[in-house]
Amino acid sequence: MTEFRGERSDGGIASSRPILGSSCARATTAAEMRYRIDRPIRGRWGARIIALDPDAGEIVARIAENPWGSARFYTLAASVAEVGDGGSESVTLRPVGAAANGHRPSLLDELDEADIVVMVATTGTDHAAATIIGAACTVRAIMTAGLVIGEYVEVAETVAAIRPHARVIMVSGDEHDVIDVLTALRA
Amino acid sequence: MLRAEINELLTQTGPGTPMGEMFRQYWLPAMLAEELPDDDCPPVRVKLLSERMVAFRDSDGRYGLIDEFCAHRGASLWFGRNEGSGLRCPYHGWKYDVTGQAIEVPSEPDNSTFCSHVKLTSYPLIKIGDLLWTYMGDPEKQPPLPEYEFATVPADQTYTSKRWQECNWLQAFEGGIDSSHVSFLHSGGLKTDPLFKGAKGNQYNMDDLKPYFEVADAEGGLFVGARRNAEADTYYWRITPWVMPCFTMVPPRGDHPVHGHFWIPIDDENCWTYSFDYHPVRPLSGDEVQAMRDGHGVHSANIPGTFRPMANKDNDYLIDREAQRRGDTYSGVKGIAMQDASLQESMGPIVDRSKEMLVSADTGIIKARQKLKKAIEALRDKGITPPGVDPAHHRVRSAAVVLPRDASFVEACRDDLSVREGVRQSSV
Repeated sequence: MTEFRGERSDGGIASSRPILGSSCARATTAAEMRYRIDRPIRGRWGARIIALDPDAGEIVARIAENPWGSARFYTLAASVAEVGDGGSESVTLRPVGAAANGHRPSLLDELDEADIVVMVATTGTDHAAATIIGAACTVRAIMTAGLVIGEYVEVAETVAAIRPHARVIMVSGDEHDVIDVLTALRA
Repeated sequence: MLRAEINELLTQTGPGTPMGEMFRQYWLPAMLAEELPDDDCPPVRVKLLSERMVAFRDSDGRYGLIDEFCAHRGASLWFGRNEGSGLRCPYHGWKYDVTGQAIEVPSEPDNSTFCSHVKLTSYPLIKIGDLLWTYMGDPEKQPPLPEYEFATVPADQTYTSKRWQECNWLQAFEGGIDSSHVSFLHSGGLKTDPLFKGAKGNQYNMDDLKPYFEVADAEGGLFVGARRNAEADTYYWRITPWVMPCFTMVPPRGDHPVHGHFWIPIDDENCWTYSFDYHPVRPLSGDEVQAMRDGHGVHSANIPGTFRPMANKDNDYLIDREAQRRGDTYSGVKGIAMQDASLQESMGPIVDRSKEMLVSADTGIIKARQKLKKAIEALRDKGITPPGVDPAHHRVRSAAVVLPRDASFVEACRDDLSVREGVRQSSV
């Protein structure tokens, strides 16, 4: 503890009072930072990772084998040729990894408890699916991210297709980036 | 969230640590050239990457960066006499040249060869622009000299300052690629700072507080693009380059000078923040330089004779709650530099990243950590030179541009993001 002596406006010395380390400049020392509350914060509860093309599906299937929190992983059960009247109903998903059970849930079912949707893509991506997923997330205030795996020149078309529908896009030549992003997001 | 062992890997830069070895692959700013203004001027203590050294400029104008402590009894050579082409320990008169070679040991016989066997560790110290740069790695692998544009334009087009930041280098650097904080923490400065205000892009910044982000690999590091609505059919892009390990540039505003930073580890709990402003094609005006000296823009007002900011943790960064309430400043702390530093230092000397809760807007930070980790492992396991060592990687620029909504910044701004001699920065 340090001692503080304040000067009163009438020129006298105010009463001395001790200042705790946590309430002065020492609050930022390593010793004081040890008192940071160390209880887990619940945080993210609903990451949905959706592969938008066959190559991305293989990546997502591999990644789904890792231990995750509440994240769920999907490929598209069928390609979506165009953004038609069916809207969100036209996207059905195939769970992969631990959640794979032959069930083909609809996009809307899986967005019910989602707080982020990560779209993983390479080349030959289903643009219509990206549009529908992005729109469904926007309506439900669900964060979207697009992770595009490949060299930029090869995936430029995919990036352009996803750009309007993903608040964050990362282009990377390394599929391990998907794991790093999901880990950082506590998926 | 980052596992504790990876946090340690990225934040520890002392000798023998993997990240320390990676930093030692690069030319790094060691000090401002103005700290050694004259031949035979007083020496300066320098600590970098947890190594204590002393820098001096000898009678012949040569710069030296050598072990701070005399080989004889371990006295600090900061007390030394800089005279006759060497630095002499005042304790017993041992004298060293700029390479750390002992050149006089007065207690030995006149023709003794003793001193030829005494050599302190030394590193090269070279002036480029406003900075003295050093390379602390294996002399056999010394790379070509740095070619950052701010350091190679004519002297009247550039200005560099330095401040002590009381936290690990990584959390300070991560602020440099975190575009999403600008619309909040620095919002006051966009309206009032003489080195920021008046640009059309500022309005785009203020009108759209939820930017979209795009992160793309670059040869030397990354480009982080932040996209906001501009006009009905266009987006306003602010593109931040990162050159590994610790150089970033802030996207420009109007015709204001372009600024950026280096974050150089002093030790694991302190770093030097070097902040520069330069204009690629014109001299800085007197008003601009005065504003920089006064601590505007990315610079700080320091305690005279030191590099410690006047607003620091001992005085709670002179936080002004009334200014915060009025909205003059968003946090109540004055100045862009100290707005950043106050919050980064508040995280503690080395932030515990295992407790953090990142969001997808932090993808640039996530990717940067991953690139650092991969480069460390490639160097350690295979001896691969990391990105950012090659001077070609230094010749990047930041950019602030308005593009059609369907344009990719990576493709549309390829030229804007490269140094083009005689061409001004791309800025709105």
